[in-house]
Amino acid sequence: MPANASTKNPPEERLVNLVVALVATEQGLTKDTILTSVSGYREQTDSGASKDALEKMFERDKEALRRLGVPIETIGDWADPDDLREARYRIPTAEYELPEDIVFTPAELALLNLAGGVWSESSMSADARSGLRKIRALGMAVDEPIIGFSPRISLREPSFAVLQQAIEQSRAVTFGYLKPGESTPRTRRVQPLALVDYEGRWHVFGVDLGVNADRTFLLSRIVEDVAITRDAFDPALRERAGERALAGLNEVAARSRALLEVNPGTEAALRLSRRALPADQGIRVPYVDIHIFADELASYGPEVRVVEPAELRDQVIQRLEATRAIHGGAA
Amino acid sequence: MTARRPLIATDRAALMLQLVPYLIGKGEVSIAEAADEFDVTAAQMRAMVETLTVIGLPGDGGYWQMANDLFDIDWDLLDEQDIIVITNSVGLERAPKLTAREAAALLTGLQLARAIPGVGDTDLFTGLLTKLARGASSTPADVILAPAPVDAVRDSVAEALQRGVAVSFTYKAPDAAPTPRTVDPVKVLIATGEWYLQGWCHLRQAMRTFHLDRVSDLELTDIPIVHGADPVPGWFETGTGDIVARIRFRESVAPLLGEYLDRATVETVGGVSTATMHIADEHSLRRLAARRAGLVEILEPESARRAAAAWAEAGLVQYR
Repeated sequence: MPANASTKNPPEERLVNLVVALVATEQGLTKDTILTSVSGYREQTDSGASKDALEKMFERDKEALRRLGVPIETIGDWADPDDLREARYRIPTAEYELPEDIVFTPAELALLNLAGGVWSESSMSADARSGLRKIRALGMAVDEPIIGFSPRISLREPSFAVLQQAIEQSRAVTFGYLKPGESTPRTRRVQPLALVDYEGRWHVFGVDLGVNADRTFLLSRIVEDVAITRDAFDPALRERAGERALAGLNEVAARSRALLEVNPGTEAALRLSRRALPADQGIRVPYVDIHIFADELASYGPEVRVVEPAELRDQVIQRLEATRAIHGGAA
Repeated sequence: MTARRPLIATDRAALMLQLVPYLIGKGEVSIAEAADEFDVTAAQMRAMVETLTVIGLPGDGGYWQMANDLFDIDWDLLDEQDIIVITNSVGLERAPKLTAREAAALLTGLQLARAIPGVGDTDLFTGLLTKLARGASSTPADVILAPAPVDAVRDSVAEALQRGVAVSFTYKAPDAAPTPRTVDPVKVLIATGEWYLQGWCHLRQAMRTFHLDRVSDLELTDIPIVHGADPVPGWFETGTGDIVARIRFRESVAPLLGEYLDRATVETVGGVSTATMHIADEHSLRRLAARRAGLVEILEPESARRAAAAWAEAGLVQYR
């Protein structure tokens, strides 16, 4: 028996004790049993803490554990499921533990180790490492590490993590979105369904509730904090959302093709030819976002000329004029 | 050593839930090795292990728990040799399921790994996707990477790496004439859809990084690599040139400049930022200025400032 169990045990101790207790019980424990027997609550009950405060602490602990992915089940009164006074709580082992029949081969583990290392400096990096740790704790043999390749995904947009959380919870979000050419951001209300990296840029795909249609937003244009609302949506909307988002972007790229003339041997020729389709005069290059493509084309200066569409040509001319003006105009 | 963020109680609880299965799987493990696995300091690991020994099954009717109702460790081994061994366990023996985020982080990483030729086949990936989905406690958010186009140069570089032979190719650096190169491949860096080959350049007699989009006429040679074990430069160790450049932009524009600012000194006054950086080649500045048209102004060097205006003018002439 612990010699110095104080009434102020650190909260992580109480949380882990709660998990041990709820996993060990088949039929579930009532709140009263938990508060008087599980270490961390028990000492406080003994020392006369108010029941109300302890119940609130228990509610908070339950929520904290659920956020960690611990499945706490509530077994209510069968006659009145809303009456939680006699509710019993338990953690079903089958839902808590990695299933016994999931076995990773040495080759799979080597690949997972490579996959888990791709995230640089983001919360995804910590998540990947934590996931790998759980899998490695299964104690299976692993192949030699895959060397020679160092794949990285960079994540600079702070909105990513919030959007991911909203997707997991199937809740609508609002954010300020700045369209190029507009001077003030407009608030969008969106049911986020998937995050997609396309041509090196992160997008969120979802239902824009303002127009009630699927839309894709660039994360780099989300200029105000993303807020998660209380409005939940049907999680079924999330099914195959990633595939739908990709198909949508590919369709846009197939529809939007610029006709360009490039000077051979230049940077523009090198970078654009790889994505180009041959045309009678010049090359045809698909693009998804006219503004981003115009940014790129402007950077090539005299190395490329836009033949069509006119809208793209105007965008490039605008950029070149602005560049010339800010640097003192034509010599 | 990686930067360690402070842990809050729920983080520590999450780690302890992972610690028990890890320790049981290991049987016997040093504090140092366990701390490394859990990204914590040795002192934090020792504290977690000690905490473990006051955790156990609920006491019965207000009585203290019996010793065998608590986790226990071999204290002598811990105190004398810094070795952790669990001697009594009261549950939590198998690792918890992955959280939705943990599964998502691995699933997305796999999509990137899949783009590497010769690393795993379709069956391997499909199998892993199914296992991760089943091993997650709730449905992970879809985090998708658009698949990279098939590319013969990438295939050949991957093959050269795996066979351990040098490659020869023509390299076209930005704003420079193409040069023939022979390179001992050491590592391929993959970032935002771009591939970079790092290796020993026979021409420059040094480690160099090559952007694969700038590589053409690539062929595998029969020359075995000899510099494979040499240290390679880290991720994009650029920004070490002799030219001092200064650019000015509104603070809110900074995210658009991305990695350009990683090695710059930035000063911001009244919402306007000025970045000072060392660059190797001033030609790239006019391209940056035109890409961020009107939002980024080159202040120095003066020659680059003039070059940006001339670059834009030369572009505009085509449309008159």
